[in-house]
Amino acid sequence: MLNRGVNYKIPRNLLFLFESIALFLMFMYYRNALDRSTIIYGLSLIFIIYISNLILSKIVSGDNYIFLIVTMLASIGIIMIYRINYEQGFKQIIWISLGIVLFFATYFIVKRIKGWEKLFLYYCLASVFLFLATLLLGRRFKGAINWISIGGISFQPTEIIKILAILMIASYYTNYDRFKEKKWGRYYLIGIMYLFVFFLFLQRDLGSVLIFCSLFLALQYIYDENRKLVLANIVVLMFSGLLGYVIFPHVRIRFETWINPWEYIDTIGYQITQSLFAISEGGFFGTGLGLGHPDFIPEVSKDFIFSAICEEMGILTGIGVIMLFMILVYRGFKISINQRNKFFRIVALGISILFGIQSFIIFGGVINMIPLTGITIPFVSYGGSSMLSSFIALGILQVASEELDIEED
Amino acid sequence: MFNILSLVFKYVFIVIIYMFIFSIIKLIYLDIKGIRPIPADSGTYLKLINRKDTLPFKVKEYYPLEDNVFLGRGNDNEIVIKDPYISKKHLRIVKDEDEYFLEDLKSANGTYVNGDRVMDVVKLNNGDRISVGQVEFLFVNKE
Amino acid sequence: MEKEIKRIITVLAGICILFVSLVVYLTYFQIFKADKVKNSSYNKRLWINEEKILRGSIIDRNGKILAYSELNGETYARVYNYGNLYSHIIGYSYRDYGKSNLELYYNNVLLNTSESAALNELKNLVEPNSEGNTLKLTIDHHLQEYSRNQMKGKKGAIVAMNPSTGEIYAMVSLPDFNPSTLREDWGNIVEDENSPLLNRAISGLYQPGSTFKVVTAISALENNMYMEDYECTGTAVVDGYPLKDYDGKGHGTVNLNEALIYSCNPYFAETGIKLGIDRLSETAEKFLLNREIPFDLPVKKSLFPKKGNIGKTDVAAASIGQGKVLVTPLNMALIASGIANKGDIMKPVLVKEVISKDGKVIDSFKAEVISRATDIFTANELKNMMVDVVNKGTGKNARISNIRVAGKTGTAENPSGNDHAWFIGFAPADDPKIAIAVILEEEGSTGGQKAAPIARNIMLEALNTINN
Repeated sequence: MLNRGVNYKIPRNLLFLFESIALFLMFMYYRNALDRSTIIYGLSLIFIIYISNLILSKIVSGDNYIFLIVTMLASIGIIMIYRINYEQGFKQIIWISLGIVLFFATYFIVKRIKGWEKLFLYYCLASVFLFLATLLLGRRFKGAINWISIGGISFQPTEIIKILAILMIASYYTNYDRFKEKKWGRYYLIGIMYLFVFFLFLQRDLGSVLIFCSLFLALQYIYDENRKLVLANIVVLMFSGLLGYVIFPHVRIRFETWINPWEYIDTIGYQITQSLFAISEGGFFGTGLGLGHPDFIPEVSKDFIFSAICEEMGILTGIGVIMLFMILVYRGFKISINQRNKFFRIVALGISILFGIQSFIIFGGVINMIPLTGITIPFVSYGGSSMLSSFIALGILQVASEELDIEED
Repeated sequence: MFNILSLVFKYVFIVIIYMFIFSIIKLIYLDIKGIRPIPADSGTYLKLINRKDTLPFKVKEYYPLEDNVFLGRGNDNEIVIKDPYISKKHLRIVKDEDEYFLEDLKSANGTYVNGDRVMDVVKLNNGDRISVGQVEFLFVNKE
Repeated sequence: MEKEIKRIITVLAGICILFVSLVVYLTYFQIFKADKVKNSSYNKRLWINEEKILRGSIIDRNGKILAYSELNGETYARVYNYGNLYSHIIGYSYRDYGKSNLELYYNNVLLNTSESAALNELKNLVEPNSEGNTLKLTIDHHLQEYSRNQMKGKKGAIVAMNPSTGEIYAMVSLPDFNPSTLREDWGNIVEDENSPLLNRAISGLYQPGSTFKVVTAISALENNMYMEDYECTGTAVVDGYPLKDYDGKGHGTVNLNEALIYSCNPYFAETGIKLGIDRLSETAEKFLLNREIPFDLPVKKSLFPKKGNIGKTDVAAASIGQGKVLVTPLNMALIASGIANKGDIMKPVLVKEVISKDGKVIDSFKAEVISRATDIFTANELKNMMVDVVNKGTGKNARISNIRVAGKTGTAENPSGNDHAWFIGFAPADDPKIAIAVILEEEGSTGGQKAAPIARNIMLEALNTINN
């Protein structure tokens, strides 16, 4: 085995250093409200992250960087969340730890079990089932029906569907030759995707519509043999986008607020303008942790955590986060290119595109470069569903980074 | 007190984060160069002679050799090559004192060193060409 | 296989471009837009910082306190001692309504913070900021009050200043509002057609009418194009259009001096046409028209036509201060000051000194010439003519016994309503201590009748009470 622990020591240790200093600072910040359990949890998290990175570099034959990058992102995120809200920070520690556990679990399960590419139908049905469940049982939150509550636990089905969709698309194109033979086989996928977009539209989850469309379009562009279909798809999507703008007022409002948020500063533009205030306050180096006012932004821990990071840790840290995502996406693509197994190649691509597009959309939204949509930053934003599903996706990506057998049948 | 700490640390954080980013970029860059740099002290390995993309199965450029290495189609070998012309357990390379020996494990299609078929055990010398299945290796021993 | 890889790389490149554009936009935003965004009054951070600092007071030139902050429980509240009187000078500073006028433009000075956040941090480390600086204005409270009373009930503006230093003693704009009751009155204020929030002295643009003839006269003198004998019949026909005097009668044979005294329109129209728009505009610009006037508050640019197709009628109109000519009352006061001050126009000043919380003067203004509008001899000639205007001509209502007063009246035709009544002047003529411009908007009467007496009273009051 050629993996030498020594290569990965530097970033692993830097991460440890960063977390330690940041945690120390946070303990000082909360010195009056500190209790034993928080200290223990905080230290444990640093420990867990360090150990996981160490273990990973020893036992896994594939890529190590993605986990390293992700844990750095998660660390930056949790420091910010903890600073903003004591309890949310606490919960986020739990989510990250659970996420790491799920990561390893997914890794082992996906690696051992074969035949993932044959489950096209199951992926479809599961997604549709979740969509219907959301529509029937879902609770409306900030205009979008996103959540299901079952027995005290609430989660976002869309997060799961994202992964299912990637698996579905991958299995479709892996078995494309077989689908081609069926009547209408070439159009199965596109039909299903439009169905999904339709569901999401019903849910008023415009951010997810954007994600799904981009994801599907990108994968279709790469893999569909029917090039005219790809072109047709692009045209239809653009057209429906315009149509959506014209017909639906809630789409129009997003655009108008984007173009001139100052005009709507008292109403719908409040969040984005507060976000802009936070970002401009920080300058390049930030105000310093605990010295800014990120709490002026409503719902800051979720979508606007990036603005808080820019305010207190500076634009430079914000750019650092963007760079980390860029490297993550690049790594994912590299993994995909190196993978001979077609199914996992597409899956790796899908997951990388997902991370890339999702983070771009939300970053662009909170700095007002593009209209705002309500989606989370993978690994950084506060929230269980997002964190867990992101780690699961990462686990699958980790599997895809290794040399796998090509099933010949 | 906290204020001063926070003010100082914000610069520290940025430095650390960027060092982190650059160290990862550096590692990736080294990776991109294609070939993992062979550390100087692992002096004994098998180097692939065939062109990798002419072979219909995965095979690596380098296989480092430890004291006891099995090669074959089966997954429990140290060196796994999915070549249909290679047996499940095809051959073994053993280090004894400071010399390396190759033993063919009664493979179906045989193992050839420098063109000669190996019947039992053969001592390997630096520069020997080993043919197994469709694959040809160069035995490198710098020591 | 190959195609697939190419396409994959295309998608990767696309995503990378997206990310790079994020970084670029973020940097661009920080460098170019951040400061403006930060200073929006909706930014609660501005206020949080403020609440910890005692905002500096604003006092007049004699130390009288015009505005200050007092502790109201946990936070500071702003108190405006004289309500309406300084609404257009000091303005207001409120969380919900933002800041205006000096409270806005001198915000950093009043809070003793700097523009740069980094600098503030460092300063706070060394010594925590708790109190702002005091602004000492050039305004003389008594004169300000007196001037406003003179204009009570009317619409318009007054600017009274020292022609040799540029200090503004009084600046009044009516209608005004009460900053102390801003919250309650806001609805009415905003809906009011007469725009009480507008500071007419620096943001109102009016046609100067005959007061502009002083500029035309200077242009004629400098270019040696003044007529010695002109037959004024009361009307002049320019390009087929008749141009009348105010009462249409004729003034008989006049020279430049007499034309100014009696404010003869046809004379100046002919003179203007003879000079041509280029020479006229050159002089006008030396008197600050078409130029940014540096001041402690933003001043609207006065306009004098000089580009494009300018026909004879336009030139004629411009030379008598009508047509496309638009000026701010401050500009007119500066013109009067320039003539009073041997041809040099001084920079107008509102803030005399900045005093730190320990009582140290950390900044004080320096008198500065912003335009050498004309030479001392021409200025002197004009000065004498303007004295004649007051003694013998349309400005008789501006006379003060035992003091030589120089002035010029103006009655500007207002295309959308009644005429504006203007008066500009200075006194005493030989050693001017006060220069003034008065405009009564839509007064419907002549400058000589209504504006001149107001100016006279204020000038007299100034001469009597101001001695520093």
